[in-house]
Amino acid sequence: MNLILILGFMLLAIGFWGMLTQKNMIKIVIGLTIAEVGVQIIMISIGYIKERTAPILDSAVPLADAVNKVVDPIPQALVLTAIVIGVAVNALILSFIIRLYKEKKSLSIDDYKEMKW
Amino acid sequence: MVNIIYIIILLLGIGFLLPITEKLGKKVSNSMFFLTLTSVSVISVQWLYAFIINGQTSLQFFTAGVKPPLSINLQLGLSESVFITSINILALIGAVYLIKHFNNIGIRSHVLYLLMILGLNGLVLTRDIFNIFVFLEITGISTYALIGSDLRLKSLIASFKYMLAGGVASIFLLLGIIFLYHNTGTLNIDGMIAASPLQSGLKIAGIAIFFLFFALLIEMKQFPANGWALDVYEASNPGISGIISAAGTAAILFALYKVMPLGNDLWFNTIAVIGIITFIASNIMGIKQKNATRLLGYSSIGQLGLLLAAMGLGFLYGGINGKFQFIIFALFISHFIAKAGLFWIAGIVKKKEIKSWGVLRKSPVLLFFTGSFMFALLGFPPFPGFFGKWELVLTLANKHQFLWITAILLGSLIEAIYLIRWFGYILKEKQEENETIEQGATKYSSVFILGTILFTISGLYMIYNPITNLSFYFYPLLFIAFLFITDNILPAYIKNILSIAGLSYYGYVYFNQFSEFRFIFAVIFLAGGILTLIPGFVKKGKRVGFYPSAIIMYVGLLGLLVAKDMFSFFTAWEFMTIGSYFLIIRGKRSQPHALSYMLFSLGGAYLIMFGFALTHVFSGGNGIALDLLNSIKSNSALIFTMLAIGFLTKTAAAGLHIWLPGAHAEAESDVSPMVSAVLLKAGVFGLILIMISSLRFDAKMIIYLLGWLGAITALLGNLMASFQEDAKKLLAYSSIAQLGYILFALAIMSHIGWMAAIWYAMNHFLYKALLFLAVGAVVVKLKTHNMYEMGGLIKQMPFSFVSVLIGIIALSGVPPLSGFGGKWLLYNAFILKGWYLQGAIIAFSGVVAFLYLFKLINSIFLGPVKDNFRKVKEVSIWYLIPQYIIIIAIMVISAKPKIVLGKIGDFITSYMPDNLVVWKGDVASSYMNGKLFGVWDAPNIMIIIGIIFVTLLSWLLIMSRKAQKVEMFNIVYSAERPESPQTTHFSHNIYSHYRKALGFLALPLIVNFWSFIVDSIHSIADFVRRLYNGNGQAYIMHILGFMVIIYFVLFNGGLF
Amino acid sequence: MEISLLTKILFSLLGLFIVFNYGLLQAGVMRKIVARVAGRYGIPIYQPYIDLIKNYSKRTQITHGVMFYLGPVFRFSGGIGLFFFIPMIYGSVYWQNFSFSGDIILLMYFQFFGMLGMALGAGEGGQPNSIIGISRGLAQFTAVEVPFTLAIISIAVQYDTLSVYDIVAAQQGGIQNWTLFTNPFAVIAGMFAFLGLMRHAPFNVVMAPQEIPIGPPTEYHSTYLGMLQSNRVVLHIVEAVLFMNLFFGGATSWLELIIKSFFIYFITVFIGVVFPRYRVDHTVRWFLKIPLVFGILAVLFV
Repeated sequence: MNLILILGFMLLAIGFWGMLTQKNMIKIVIGLTIAEVGVQIIMISIGYIKERTAPILDSAVPLADAVNKVVDPIPQALVLTAIVIGVAVNALILSFIIRLYKEKKSLSIDDYKEMKW
Repeated sequence: MVNIIYIIILLLGIGFLLPITEKLGKKVSNSMFFLTLTSVSVISVQWLYAFIINGQTSLQFFTAGVKPPLSINLQLGLSESVFITSINILALIGAVYLIKHFNNIGIRSHVLYLLMILGLNGLVLTRDIFNIFVFLEITGISTYALIGSDLRLKSLIASFKYMLAGGVASIFLLLGIIFLYHNTGTLNIDGMIAASPLQSGLKIAGIAIFFLFFALLIEMKQFPANGWALDVYEASNPGISGIISAAGTAAILFALYKVMPLGNDLWFNTIAVIGIITFIASNIMGIKQKNATRLLGYSSIGQLGLLLAAMGLGFLYGGINGKFQFIIFALFISHFIAKAGLFWIAGIVKKKEIKSWGVLRKSPVLLFFTGSFMFALLGFPPFPGFFGKWELVLTLANKHQFLWITAILLGSLIEAIYLIRWFGYILKEKQEENETIEQGATKYSSVFILGTILFTISGLYMIYNPITNLSFYFYPLLFIAFLFITDNILPAYIKNILSIAGLSYYGYVYFNQFSEFRFIFAVIFLAGGILTLIPGFVKKGKRVGFYPSAIIMYVGLLGLLVAKDMFSFFTAWEFMTIGSYFLIIRGKRSQPHALSYMLFSLGGAYLIMFGFALTHVFSGGNGIALDLLNSIKSNSALIFTMLAIGFLTKTAAAGLHIWLPGAHAEAESDVSPMVSAVLLKAGVFGLILIMISSLRFDAKMIIYLLGWLGAITALLGNLMASFQEDAKKLLAYSSIAQLGYILFALAIMSHIGWMAAIWYAMNHFLYKALLFLAVGAVVVKLKTHNMYEMGGLIKQMPFSFVSVLIGIIALSGVPPLSGFGGKWLLYNAFILKGWYLQGAIIAFSGVVAFLYLFKLINSIFLGPVKDNFRKVKEVSIWYLIPQYIIIIAIMVISAKPKIVLGKIGDFITSYMPDNLVVWKGDVASSYMNGKLFGVWDAPNIMIIIGIIFVTLLSWLLIMSRKAQKVEMFNIVYSAERPESPQTTHFSHNIYSHYRKALGFLALPLIVNFWSFIVDSIHSIADFVRRLYNGNGQAYIMHILGFMVIIYFVLFNGGLF
Repeated sequence: MEISLLTKILFSLLGLFIVFNYGLLQAGVMRKIVARVAGRYGIPIYQPYIDLIKNYSKRTQITHGVMFYLGPVFRFSGGIGLFFFIPMIYGSVYWQNFSFSGDIILLMYFQFFGMLGMALGAGEGGQPNSIIGISRGLAQFTAVEVPFTLAIISIAVQYDTLSVYDIVAAQQGGIQNWTLFTNPFAVIAGMFAFLGLMRHAPFNVVMAPQEIPIGPPTEYHSTYLGMLQSNRVVLHIVEAVLFMNLFFGGATSWLELIIKSFFIYFITVFIGVVFPRYRVDHTVRWFLKIPLVFGILAVLFV
């Protein structure tokens, strides 16, 4: 379980590393996505309770006993929301990058520095 | 009451409906769009009304039919309703502003806009922490898309950087939320606060809160992790920038406010420090900025920093209630309205460079609102920010947080540098004739509505503020409003009559209400006001902008005398400063001088405010009555020094004088006497107030130093005046010197010394008004300030000549005119005090005055006439009338000084019983150790000199033959005309030998000092802002670096 | 003892008459002395009378305007006014003139009355050299005033009074009571100032424009010049009397007054024939060095 938490943090670190080192804007976005995935994994691992099952009420988990059998459902719900939002943002960013590429024919973030100071 | 959940339902529902109904045509979708925004506003206003008027208590709204923590709840209390009302109304007005832009882009922008507003409302209302994340993301996504939706390269880049930053921030937000959840087992904010995770001592709780606050600080655009935000402000459509800057930050501020109780004192302090650093850094960087919208961005971020600092401090000192609620709302609402307004105006002006904003002059209404917004941002009365800043300073002073006060005032002063400079460009910078600004009812009306709201709220503050009763300003401000509204309609002479009538009315009403010093200054202010307004009858046309400014200044001056408490005094002081600033900047080349005037005044005003706050604290913390100055119990010397420096910026003591010559010399001809003869006395009044208070405590050392400062000011002022070639500048330097005498005389702190000071103050009012009116009128006639271009005007302008002659004899102190009384009192005073060396400097400077006085009258009126001025006629009668009234006054008080001095002496005695002046009939005498010391018999001197003069004149007349009139010829050297015009006037640079001997005293050392300061600030600004190198990646780096900085500062590295 | 106003006026006028004639004679004597030092025979000592009569009887006259016309009136009013405000003979009620109207501050500032008027008159004459002379005169005067003021402050403090009459009174009772001995620093500073005021060499560059034949007094001629000349003789004596009152024990009789004032004035003439001339900027700086130091010493050690 701790292993998953560590994995999450590693992904987070890799994501930030990508964002900070890559010049290609698409790669930067990939870095961002990796970091988001890292966060999502961290969230799930925090809601996980050892030896319990997924919070889905079906024949395996009787309603009466659910509280003792399933893991905390809330982080999982949160992660779902976060994933949805993350996808939306990433899609938007990528569409912007396409627009930018059309305007300037460059994907390097260094080429978009007109506004400064 | 409508359930508040309908706000969210309406915005969301219509937002999704709009793409479908688009088929029905633009009209339908636009109507739906506006109807939605209007209903949302109505709902929030209705609730606000319920909370304020009906005393409704705060309410919870539950979703999904169950109570938290199982469901999400919305809370609506007074604060929430204030924020959503502000946001929704702004959204409605903003929609009007942006509607053309939206229609060009298409229906998607309408949808995005509604979603953005939805997100903002949600941020304010929700009590669920994960919901904050969701609404933040909704706001974020819709904002990114809205910014980029115009598909301009710049907006796309800005939006891209924004998204990266937002993405990083949301990662940390999520981390924070999940750890908090893990720690407390709930997502409900109230539940979390109740669980008080930081108390648990678990590291994970600390980390959680760290991530949470950090993410919100990024969203709050705090320095240095805010490069992306500047790009957003710069590149977006100004209409959207306005909404982001105002409503967006309002919502995030509120979200932070909700989770703040999770933190502890360490956090509150850190957040306040981050805020204040942002405030100062952002404003410093703004100084170098030339791009209008980016500059507004800097200002916006700075204001956010200030709000954050106030909030942090509020939590640190017991939570946001009472005082801090008042403070934060006042600061918030000023920023909220003003910044949106300024961005929107930027969208109308469409000029990138702030120097090209002069086109605004084509639209007086917009110009007026631009000024109002800027002054609201700077916290001038009557705008809400003024009240907020005062309370903030006072509250902090009560907690002995003096460093905080210093930082806040410093930041505000720096902000004033660029805003006032910018406004100066708008008012004065040269413009191409064919430049135009965008027309269009929607944008104009949005700005107009916003401005009206600002003034309405300001009016409410003036009437209902809990600090003090400002009802004195009610009618004057109405009158000023009337003048503003009719400014473009009524001709100048009607406004002049109204203004004079107004001043006379107040003179009549207040004639018996003032006593002692206040009475004297009331005479100077009101009589001075009326006299200096009379020349206004010369002006043809409407003279737009003059009368409101003049009346604001005079109202401020009168307000100083009416004020019974420190806040009213400070309000009056600021009104006076605003009015005089607008008067001064009217001159043709006044822009830089008005700027430095404003900055020095503001710096001085902040010192005064600080001093007042300290007075409040160190006199026991009870109330703000002006009389508390007399009961300061500790730190009196410090308070005295601060107030003294504050007042000395107004009286232009050496070192703080550099604004004066330009400001007074370049002002219009009838403005110069107003700001010189009348306005400077406000500083004297302030000095008198604090010096009276200093009788109760020990400030001897400082007052001693003030005496030296006065003497040095007098000498330097006179020396510099001697080297001037510009007639009005000469008079301006002379004013510096005269105020130096007054300061010196006040510092003597004896009966006779104060008599000298007040006599000087009155006389300076008379003869400086006389000289400035006379010389100013000549300057208007000849269209030059340079004395070497004048000459020989005595024949064309005999009446002006007599005025100047009387003026210089009175000023120089030659018997028998009133100036000699000043000299006699002053000499007696300093000899009796034992200040021989300072006195010698005063005496020396008195003689130096002859140099420039002779030069003034000689260069203008004597010698040969210049060819081009042979046909010049006497100046206008409207200039001569006040001059001759003043001459009569000078003659009366010269012949019978006792009628004035006797009364002055009576009430000085109650404060200063030492070194009395004793009157026997009309003879004044001074005593040393009970023995007769000096004697002054003014009427007798006048009679003797008069008789001798008349006798000798008759003798000359008898002995004279018929004198032959000599005509002048032009001076031509060796049949050549010298190239530079000044060398054809023989009194050009006539004191070159004197400069050789003593010129080193008049080197512009002080000017150089201040330019060094200015240059340094600019270089610092330029250095710091290079941080924002435009690279989106670097901005992410900043964010992470910022985290490391906070981490190390906050936890000293010891958390994990 | 009170005397009537009429008596007072008559005695003052009589005093003026004495001073006027004494001044004319003294001017002649001084010029004679200077001439002898230079190895010339010199004028007869009654020459000033002749000049005066000649000037007043000139038949032609010009004017450049009102101020030009009034210049000499201002100047002479300054001289006579100064006389009226100075007590002449100590111990006699008849020779106090109108000195009760004011004190030494009045005298200091009244000096400017004539100068200012004259400067304005000459200014209207439009002669460039007049302006040069005036600018130099004013500049020099400012510097001279520094040691003078310090000296006056010093003796005002020493004698606890600003009244000239009381200052003289305090010096009675023997030569050892003179300010010269009781307050030597003040006297040194004051006498330096006197040199500057009297405008003999080395401080006479102010008069230089008059030497080329177009200075203010040559622009003024006939009756004007007569008035200026009258003023100068009165003023020289009055200034000497002022310094006599301040520093040298005053005078109890006309004889004492004449002897003392003669020698006081003679000092300036004596120094004048010995020293060469300073430029104005030198003068200004010089007065702000040694005389200033003495002035400061005077106020510090009073």
